[in-house]
Amino acid sequence: MLYQDGGQPRPYPATIRNRTPVQGTGGAGPRPGIQKEIKTAMSTSPVPTNGQPDEQPRDAAFWSSYTTGLKVSNVPSGALNLNVEGKLVNGPLQGFGRMWQKTYSITLNGTSLTAKEVIKTWKERFPEFWPKGNRFFGPLTGIAPGEVALLNLTLTGGIKLSTGVLVLYADEESFTLMTPQGHIFAGWITFSALEENGSLVAQAQVLMRASDPIYELGFRLGMYKEEDKFWQHTLKSLASSFGIDVPVEMQAICVDPRMQWSHAKNVWHNAAMRTTIYTISTPLRWIRGRGRKRNQQ
Amino acid sequence: MPARNLEAQVRHQPRVAIVDLHGEINAFAEDVLNAAYADAESRRAEEILLNFSDVDYINSTGIALIVSLLARARKSKRRLLACGLSQHYVEIFQITRLVDFMSVFPDESSALSENPKSIITPREK
Repeated sequence: MLYQDGGQPRPYPATIRNRTPVQGTGGAGPRPGIQKEIKTAMSTSPVPTNGQPDEQPRDAAFWSSYTTGLKVSNVPSGALNLNVEGKLVNGPLQGFGRMWQKTYSITLNGTSLTAKEVIKTWKERFPEFWPKGNRFFGPLTGIAPGEVALLNLTLTGGIKLSTGVLVLYADEESFTLMTPQGHIFAGWITFSALEENGSLVAQAQVLMRASDPIYELGFRLGMYKEEDKFWQHTLKSLASSFGIDVPVEMQAICVDPRMQWSHAKNVWHNAAMRTTIYTISTPLRWIRGRGRKRNQQ
Repeated sequence: MPARNLEAQVRHQPRVAIVDLHGEINAFAEDVLNAAYADAESRRAEEILLNFSDVDYINSTGIALIVSLLARARKSKRRLLACGLSQHYVEIFQITRLVDFMSVFPDESSALSENPKSIITPREK
């Protein structure tokens, strides 16, 4: 069967029905002005894939390079830099809990804005749209592929959490953040704007699993609601910045209801626990630091 | 270059269903991808091979769609394989850690051979 135009199946044309697939036509070739050096750190030798010369496709500049561990290049004042340096990023497949796809969207009617303008504003003012008590310390260069941002969050019950995100993908109409080990959830969030049927829609789509059993329990005890509120607030703030006040629509799909018990060990990286231990032990570190200074004098 | 909407064709073989993908995998590809996947698993194939050799663009939403397929495959205890990815997209599959769960082959023939040699073997089954 051939699927196209919204997924309506129709029979193959007779000439196609038994065809051998054409190999090696991948790669659209580079677009002028888009050249990016990709640093590969593959675990295997660079094997030719589809048999074509490896020209950079047009999206090459939009993706982060492969990295074996996150690196924080700049720590802004006021930011707590914990649980990020050297951590691997985790996609939804590496998490523990149920896999959810949640889409929060808002229709920005009555404006002459374009999708690109919305995303430009969203990128530039990203931290401003967050709820109070949560801080996003973006890279100096702004939201760009491969950059790492620090997050200082406040969870239910006032628990502080220091973590970060990698900018996995960023183009003019969308950007995606991916979480590191220890983050509340393993997965990514894609922020996008879309012009469709005369309407302009901005949305945040989260594809995630709770990173470990503790977070999964937390989600079931109320963090899912908190997360919903968080992104609803963000979208409403974005709309408000354009002078629009409309409700946020939300759609949640449970992609996989199973727990991945093989990933329960992610709890070792739990950033909430590590941040709490760090905070509790602050007086101890202070005393130890003073002791060292005295010894040096 | 004008965007090419995704088209998908499914070929059923005794053990494996091959999904040939043509065009771009982005937010607009969801219905096509899901319909093709549903067709591919309809005959209870043990493995589903996604052939990306005619895919010239995948954005992050497209990667999320592939993750959803992978979740569906794992739920029904099927193996999801990939072939025909350019070097660039092999790297994207590594960054997003899809390769932890998915064997990636250079081309269809190597994926279907008796002794398949993948570029990357998943760390998790």
